Amino acid sequence: MPTLTIDPVTRIEGHARITVQLDEQGEVQDARFHVTQVRGFEKLCEGRPFTEMPALMARICGICPTSHLLASSKACDEIMAVRIPETAEKLRRIMNLAQIIQSHALSFFYLSSPDFLLGMDSDPAERNILGVARKHPAMARDGIKLRQFGQRVLETLGGKRIHPGWIVPGGVSQPLEAAQRDQILTEIPEAIRITRATLHWFKSQIESFRAEVRSFANFPSLFLAMANDENQLAAYSGWLRFMDAKLNIVADHITGLDYQNFIGESSNDDSYLKSTYYKPLGLSAGMYRVGPLARLNMCQSLGTTQADEELAEFRELEHHSVLSSFYYHYARLIEVLFSLERMETLLRDPEILGKNVRAHASPNNFEGVGILEAPRGTLIHHYRIDQNGLIESANLVIATGHNNLAINHGVLQVARQFVKGNALEQGMLNRVEAVVRAFDPCLSCSTHAAGQMLLEISLLAADGALLDRLRR
Amino acid sequence: MQRRVLLIGYGNVLRGDDALGPMAVELLRPVLTGHVTDVELLSCHQLAPELSERLAHCELALFVDAANHGEPGTVRVQRLLPEAVDLASLTHHVQPSALLALARELYGRAPEALLVTGAGATFDGRESLSEPGREALREICRLVPQLILDFRAHRDAVAMKE
Repeated sequence: MPTLTIDPVTRIEGHARITVQLDEQGEVQDARFHVTQVRGFEKLCEGRPFTEMPALMARICGICPTSHLLASSKACDEIMAVRIPETAEKLRRIMNLAQIIQSHALSFFYLSSPDFLLGMDSDPAERNILGVARKHPAMARDGIKLRQFGQRVLETLGGKRIHPGWIVPGGVSQPLEAAQRDQILTEIPEAIRITRATLHWFKSQIESFRAEVRSFANFPSLFLAMANDENQLAAYSGWLRFMDAKLNIVADHITGLDYQNFIGESSNDDSYLKSTYYKPLGLSAGMYRVGPLARLNMCQSLGTTQADEELAEFRELEHHSVLSSFYYHYARLIEVLFSLERMETLLRDPEILGKNVRAHASPNNFEGVGILEAPRGTLIHHYRIDQNGLIESANLVIATGHNNLAINHGVLQVARQFVKGNALEQGMLNRVEAVVRAFDPCLSCSTHAAGQMLLEISLLAADGALLDRLRR
Repeated sequence: MQRRVLLIGYGNVLRGDDALGPMAVELLRPVLTGHVTDVELLSCHQLAPELSERLAHCELALFVDAANHGEPGTVRVQRLLPEAVDLASLTHHVQPSALLALARELYGRAPEALLVTGAGATFDGRESLSEPGREALREICRLVPQLILDFRAHRDAVAMKE
């Protein structure tokens, strides 16, 4: 049976391979997304003091260390059984929003915009950020500027852009100064202008990507995201909610340790990335999606003026729930707009300059669960400690793991649509990669993988013989 | 006329001799600040596209990195030109030549640029340099101020001729 291998997958965070299995007639029979490296953070933190977890867990990833810091600190808050000061919670929210902005900007402008601006079938040597810079310099500059803004906020609050140590169990380590707040506020209008202009441009391009909209992981699935009483986008606090493809609530008000009753984790022989599933339905029927698409499907409103206008338009795409994963890109831009507006509101709150930003306590619980909406989706850190406060076990459930079943399903759908015959063409290869890219997977986070992720696609014959391989 | 020198030391400070670039920046900061004017020093884990804007506004860019090839302890200086290197698999980091190309495309100019590499001996997980790594660091710290002065002397000589 022929098999096609894409190895490594490009313009994603981490290292992966895709194999496409053909039948005797040369039609796609199966396709798999394999993550080929492992990091093992769950194991290496055993025996460490729980207070070290935020700083240690931030090392999981250079793109989203802030998300791990936040989820980890929330888990430690639970272990200490503290309610953190109001100012600290608002500052953490700002940090999370800045993280969403910089990560979404990276995904949209650096990794995926070459596909939109230069075309799925364009020369791969040109289909990168330099190619975008040559043909669409204004948009490339905007992308850089938007990401810089997010990073500057992280640096202003956290002291440095990558692996900031400012978020700690019980709150944050330093209050915000008025000058820092004012500086961020002066930069928000330009960031909003860029985001709105990019949204306007992206919406104008959707029609030319109809084939991708139809086939990029476009299927019914469950969705998981955090929810709150207002049914607004809950990025920092709330409870877990599962909804079905018609947006009926399937499970709700899931908090703390209860996540284990609803989220199952399955290991695969051919990948270091676990697949999570909705436990009551089992592995075969429990596929769900997380991240921007799930969040926008889940909430009734975002809670900010301009983003809500965009959400209303987004909802019109498929007249109800939005099922095509191609629209993750669109959802990301709307979330950036929301994040900027919400950040401005939080910064204009006088409470934001409060000096009481940290609660102190010894361990009061043996277990703690921290849940957060990271840029790529729901992030869960769960720690159990012994009577000396040392970590006995840690479980990290990461957005890319939540999405793994859907990514695999999407790769198969795209391969069936675009892969024909016994040889690979760049356009087909790129579309198989691009469906993975739509989810914006971060494999360093989700497998705890050392090194850099590249992509390889293999095409295997019905008897398993390698027919073709493309590698980048 | 741009007058600024941008010194970028990059590498992973938790991977032995890979820390050469960031460590050079820290050692050179007091040496250069106050003695050589208009020098901006920057330490980072890896080169990202965002740096292209800063590059476009400087006159000379000095990239300091560790090399995992060559005789450990030795230092090499090479001139860089803007070039689209290894961009197909781009995630969030780029090669210095590609960064120069990005600066030229986006902001209209790329500075003169030199890559200073010190050959390391060990790149495993530790926060200290090997003996050859320390040798390379000493040589980099001796060499970089001289490279800046040479560049300026050359530029001034050219300006006088004109």
